[in-house]
Amino acid sequence: MDLTKLAAGLAMGLGGIGPGIGLGIAVSKAMEAIGRNPEASGTLFVPYILGLALTEAIGIYALVVSLIILFAAK
Amino acid sequence: MVHVEIAAEKLFAIGPLIVTNSMVGALLASILLLLVARWFTRRPGIVPSRGQSLVELPIEFMAGIVRGSGGKRWRQFAPLILAIFLFVLTANWLSLLPGVGTIGLAEKLSDGSSIIVPFVRAGAADLNFTLGLALVSFVSFIAFGLRANGLRGYLKELLVAEPAYMTPLLTPIHLISELSRVISLSMRLFGNVFAGEVLLATMLALTTATLFILPLAFVIPGVFIGLELLFGLVQALVFALLSMTYITLAIAEHRQHGPDQDHSGDAPEQGTAPVHGRA
Repeated sequence: MDLTKLAAGLAMGLGGIGPGIGLGIAVSKAMEAIGRNPEASGTLFVPYILGLALTEAIGIYALVVSLIILFAAK
Repeated sequence: MVHVEIAAEKLFAIGPLIVTNSMVGALLASILLLLVARWFTRRPGIVPSRGQSLVELPIEFMAGIVRGSGGKRWRQFAPLILAIFLFVLTANWLSLLPGVGTIGLAEKLSDGSSIIVPFVRAGAADLNFTLGLALVSFVSFIAFGLRANGLRGYLKELLVAEPAYMTPLLTPIHLISELSRVISLSMRLFGNVFAGEVLLATMLALTTATLFILPLAFVIPGVFIGLELLFGLVQALVFALLSMTYITLAIAEHRQHGPDQDHSGDAPEQGTAPVHGRA
């Protein structure tokens, strides 16, 4: 039985949980901060994007792994 | 089933140099950038013309960010960051044009089915492109660190941890984290762009199943192409911002130290003095 596709799906699905929660926390905190102090949105922009990028990278690793499982590892 | 090739396909070879379709995409992006830059700076005016202000828009946007969070020496690395941003942005957005990834030569696979080997593929949908850019960023933040702190200060920063007795534990971690920046920079861009390509291909393939509702076949891929426009911009921004942050960290590192540090990097800001007309 070939479990490769199941492995790819699990890698992406499980790997998406952590970054999803992390991104949710980051965005909610940023929105909260902007809501309290709208003038801060300009200052927040760069650290916000950087934080999102670093968090999202974990999800991208999962994606790359599952793409490799699907298409590259033979 | 959508055919997905994780490596860029070989088009032809010039001697030992293999030209892949991703290289063609990246080359087209740089040629386009050069032409646009050449065309719109022939007669630059103080009051910009329509085309000039359109071209200046992304540059001013990025220059504003670099000025805002690049520290005191932002002028030294602003051109590099701007170049990375514009190059990645152009390469990403070029890949959304019709014909990229769809026009090519047919090729028979071993199992009898035939696939298309496209002439042009998104530049960043090839790990070589993103790894190359990440290495440029890596070398430049090391170079900026060396220049700001001197060889002694830089090596001390790299190899000696803050309480000296923690060095055996912390230095390997520090070295690994420096190296992992290359991997995370390249993998992030590659993963996003490549996943975007696969997503668009999948959505197009799905619409052939819903052809009986005609508008849906146009609407669904259209929505995702709009999404890819946004992702292309965000990923270019992220790559440039992270490179900028690494350079800023490398330059600023020596300020965290006590008075025993040699002050070779604390010279006043020479070389940043001439102020050019526009940012």
